[in-house]
Amino acid sequence: MTRVTARPKGDLAQRLADAEATIEALVSGQIDAVVDSKTHTPVLLAKAQDALRESEERYRRIVETSNDGIWAIDGKSKITFVNQRLADMLGYSPEEMIGKSFSEFIPEASEAKAPQRFEGSRGISEETEVKLERNDQSELWVLLKTSPIRDADGAYVGTLAMMTDRTRARQDEEALRKSEEQYRQIVETTTEGIIKSDSSARILFVNRRFAEMLGYDPREMVGVSMFDYMSAAAKVIALDAAKRSRRGVKGGVDTTFRHKDGTNISVNIAGAPLFDAEGVYTGNLGVVRDVTEQKKLQSQLMVSDRMASVGTLAAGVAHEINNPLAAVIANLDYMAESLRHMIGGDSTEVSPAKSTAWVLEEIKTPLDDARDAAERVRFIVRDLKMFSRSPSDEPTGAVDVKAIMESSLRMAWNEIRHRARLVKNYGAVPGVRANEARLGQVFLNLVINAAQALQEGHAERNEIRVSTRLEGDRVIVEVADTGAGIPPEILGRIFDAFFTTKAVGVGTGLGLAICHRIVTDMGGELTVETEIGTGTTFRVALPIARKDVVEVAVPDEPIAVAARRGRILVVDDEPLVIRTVKRILSKEHDLVVTEAATEALALCASGEKFDLILCDLMMPEMTGMDLHRELSLVSPEQADRMIFVTGGAFTEKARRFLSETPKEHLEKPFASANLRAIVQRYLR
Amino acid sequence: MATILAGKTALRLRLYIAGNAPNSLLAISNLKAICDEYFGIGCVVETIDLLVHPARALADSIIVTPTLVKVYPLPVRRLIGTLSDTNQVCLALGVK
Repeated sequence: MTRVTARPKGDLAQRLADAEATIEALVSGQIDAVVDSKTHTPVLLAKAQDALRESEERYRRIVETSNDGIWAIDGKSKITFVNQRLADMLGYSPEEMIGKSFSEFIPEASEAKAPQRFEGSRGISEETEVKLERNDQSELWVLLKTSPIRDADGAYVGTLAMMTDRTRARQDEEALRKSEEQYRQIVETTTEGIIKSDSSARILFVNRRFAEMLGYDPREMVGVSMFDYMSAAAKVIALDAAKRSRRGVKGGVDTTFRHKDGTNISVNIAGAPLFDAEGVYTGNLGVVRDVTEQKKLQSQLMVSDRMASVGTLAAGVAHEINNPLAAVIANLDYMAESLRHMIGGDSTEVSPAKSTAWVLEEIKTPLDDARDAAERVRFIVRDLKMFSRSPSDEPTGAVDVKAIMESSLRMAWNEIRHRARLVKNYGAVPGVRANEARLGQVFLNLVINAAQALQEGHAERNEIRVSTRLEGDRVIVEVADTGAGIPPEILGRIFDAFFTTKAVGVGTGLGLAICHRIVTDMGGELTVETEIGTGTTFRVALPIARKDVVEVAVPDEPIAVAARRGRILVVDDEPLVIRTVKRILSKEHDLVVTEAATEALALCASGEKFDLILCDLMMPEMTGMDLHRELSLVSPEQADRMIFVTGGAFTEKARRFLSETPKEHLEKPFASANLRAIVQRYLR
Repeated sequence: MATILAGKTALRLRLYIAGNAPNSLLAISNLKAICDEYFGIGCVVETIDLLVHPARALADSIIVTPTLVKVYPLPVRRLIGTLSDTNQVCLALGVK
């Protein structure tokens, strides 16, 4: 552009001088216009300058209004330009900054590499987060983007730097990090297990507590399906609960997880569905509580409550037993007296005609009465036994609510009879899926509550009404009283544990709470309806048992005549029982008796053979179960011939033994006919 | 329009300008002063306004204005600028 040509060639000095003059003219602004090399039209330089000025102005405005701080530094680290924004960010005016070394704005404690970053390593464009120092010595964090400035030959002459204020963002990030840290601490130190899963039940997060509950490391569990830690039954419960919670139903669910060692842990899960911003279901968050201990405690409480119920009834039951027992004893005494008269004194002159009427009058009738009375005692004891069963016994099948209600009413009869007339209104209902002992506990509680709601002494004015009916697929059992009703202010609390309106020592405050728990566990519902001054009705709704588990009652066997005379060994630690069995069976069979299982074992071991061994289950020293085990070793054929006689399997071990052995057993008390029947069946 | 100064033609010059741009006006007045003082009527100066005759720029390979070209006597020489350095101009035009 600054070409000066000379044609023809002049001397070199002259041309050099011309060139210098031209350059000077150019540099000193003596040019008006430049001829465009393509169009050959001159372009006025003043206009070009205006355009340049405009363009510069435009850039200047951009730079000045930029949200980013901008400076330029030269090759000697001096600031040659700074925009207002950066000056504001640092708390200076641009004039204060220009000409200073940029290192004056870097805190002294900064890392050694910091200055290099600002110079962009003198050539390479970079983007890093660095710290500056404000006029007031506070920190300014910026995201730094540098680009080198080069001259026409590509040599480094400085760096242009753009800085985005990150101080606030860093504070926010720090606050977020602290908040997250806090939540993490809460999540990791809580005694509750926490689990988060996606929509396909894959685990996204578990806290340490939950992993510990199941015996794993949290890292092992992430990514695994939640169902891998559940039994099939628990999976069904969990799926159902998830479905309900997605519909917005709140509340926990009781289920189990499988521990690494294979055992099941009882838990309560309070779950909540998770949705994204668009409302799409993304998974579940669950708070898991280990309730294994609680469950244990609960069943202990239930036992203690049942014991309390039975305790309050002990007096009544004793009364119930004493009545028939009095009849048994009195009748037996009467017969003994009559017989003594007949045998002693002038009895030798008894005429045969008088004899039949006399025997009927003095022996047969009192004997029948004694037998009836004894039978009543047997029923009462059977009812008591029902209540002594462990709550851990699973329901064995369909349960007849009417029979259980009858037992409960007999148990509570002493409470009822002075207070109300008892009205029974049993509709025909199928068996329910329940545990007899627990359901008995519920009914007994409700009946006693009904009785206690009534004043003593006006039995004719009050009524306790029990009824059963079928409603859809549920059996409804109602216990209604005509008492004062429950005031509305306490109605909401009656199912709470330890809430009681009874005097100290009368109730534990657990009755209804436990009833509610038991019924809910059975899949049923316990509700109450009350009206002040009219009375209260408690309603138990229970699911019908499936048809295939309905128990078929075994009909009584007809008593056959002994097929043949057998050789029978009787083992029982109670001499009275031995004597009675001997009396019943010795006419038809040959009996060997012993009070000790050890002796029985010795007999068999010595080679004695028996057609049948009637053995008591519970005996001191060696039990019937021990004898069976020993006999199986020395004489399996004899062990096979054992029939167990039991007054009730009171231990867990005995219950298990009876349920596992295919052998028949005879319950005490037994009628002589039953004893003969079972013996004859085995001798066939 | 070309302005022809009267007198003996000892020197022929062409001054390329761009309208009345400041440097161009300055160049015209400076050149006139030099010619008056040193050449009188023997100097012929053709002033060409490239805004009016852009094609002339091509003919003499003019790149910027103002440019002064000494056409006669040879050698042809050209000077760029406002011609304010009188010594320099005289030197180029062969005075002294």
